[in-house]
Amino acid sequence: MGKTIIPFGPQHPVLPEPLQLKLVMRDEIVVEAIPAIGYVHRGLEKLAEQKDFMKNIYLVERVCGICSNMHALTYCMAIEEIMSIEIPDRARFLRVIWAELHRIHSHLLWLGLLADSFGFESLFMQIWRSREKIMDIMEATAGHRIFISTNTIGGTHKDLSPEQQTEVLKTVQLVYDDMKAVEKVIYNDYTVAHRLTDVGILPTEIAYALGTVGPMARASGIVFDHRTQGYAAYGDLEFEPVVETAGDSHARTKVRLREVYQSIELIREAIGKLPEGDIFTPFKGNPNGEALVRLEQPRGEVLYYVRANGTKLLDRVRLRTPTFANLPSLLHMLPGSSLADVPVLILTIDPCISCTER
Amino acid sequence: MLSNLTEISVDMILNQVHRKKDEGYRFVSMTTVENEDLTIDLYYHFDRDYEISNLKLTVNKEFELPSISKIYLAAVFVENEIQELFGVKFDGKAINYGGHFILSDDDLENPMCRNQIVIEQLEDK
Repeated sequence: MGKTIIPFGPQHPVLPEPLQLKLVMRDEIVVEAIPAIGYVHRGLEKLAEQKDFMKNIYLVERVCGICSNMHALTYCMAIEEIMSIEIPDRARFLRVIWAELHRIHSHLLWLGLLADSFGFESLFMQIWRSREKIMDIMEATAGHRIFISTNTIGGTHKDLSPEQQTEVLKTVQLVYDDMKAVEKVIYNDYTVAHRLTDVGILPTEIAYALGTVGPMARASGIVFDHRTQGYAAYGDLEFEPVVETAGDSHARTKVRLREVYQSIELIREAIGKLPEGDIFTPFKGNPNGEALVRLEQPRGEVLYYVRANGTKLLDRVRLRTPTFANLPSLLHMLPGSSLADVPVLILTIDPCISCTER
Repeated sequence: MLSNLTEISVDMILNQVHRKKDEGYRFVSMTTVENEDLTIDLYYHFDRDYEISNLKLTVNKEFELPSISKIYLAAVFVENEIQELFGVKFDGKAINYGGHFILSDDDLENPMCRNQIVIEQLEDK
């Protein structure tokens, strides 16, 4: 039987963003897969060298819609490290609250897309209906459903009033109840189990060797989550990484579902411990030096390297997003799989191509 | 100045990266910075137990470096990206996209470099 090459993407119903895979097939089985990107490269790193370092906050928020808040957070932390700015306690907790709202919204988006990828439309709709509640509360507290521009260098430029805190707590309780209802389907439904269990197994040692990060790595038994390092206010909150050991697509789904519950707990605890005080530390001058900062986005570890020269313009802003780190795992998972499983396997890395290409 | 930074020369790359692999480090990424004198600072970032470890070398553009993708396959994409965006070549990549990982035939060569930006501005005039 000869080999056939199938170009999968860049436009495909299952792909929210343009990624192409050159699939070398023997009958219905993938023999080799080469990912190709380059459809949405915007040169944002170069643009960041030509903007005032304060305006770059708004630029990096637009690297990715789903992780916008955490791109700004990482960038702000890098500049704060260079300028030795210590942010107020209240801002540290506020950063956690909005970051975890963003994580819930990202994971629910992914869970819905996954259900859609194997044709489970009602599950997709249930999950996205719940996600709307998170987007509504983000709009109510930060002024936008997706691009919640809350972080600034020195802290946050938005606060949460007591009424808003109550609304956030009510909303996450509603989402908790919604997810408890669909949890049984995700854990026990025959269709879900059939399409995900033992599909795309990524053993621990291979996941580590390929530099896999985030829920991908944790579903393969790697205990790796930057929140354990206590950035923002995570050091003051109860936190244990969610880890599964099966390494298959079902394990990756369970990790993300359990992380939704975990984020809800973190939000409750952060609001409970939210200290009074300022939300912003004023500062003067321009950054001079370099810093490398990593933190945990919904998809995994993000890295920002910033080099500054004492002027308003930076020498370099380099970012490596989690999807870039998870792309090599496709080189391992796709060969040997059937063509019908390719959409599911691509989705289980939670690909964000505009993040990856920047 | 980054913490845990070791400055190395080109002939030390493979030995140093092999050592990182043997010591159980995970490959994180590579960073390229173009200096005023048009040389390139190249950083290799590794992680073990949340501790970042960096290797740094400074090379001239168009210089050919040994690829580390046979040691860490995870490096293959970032090496292709750097080659296209900055013009630093990597010899022996596990997958060679031939200049089409990010860019297409119509794109400017090495668009992240300073001299390319100057050329664009001159054309605009």
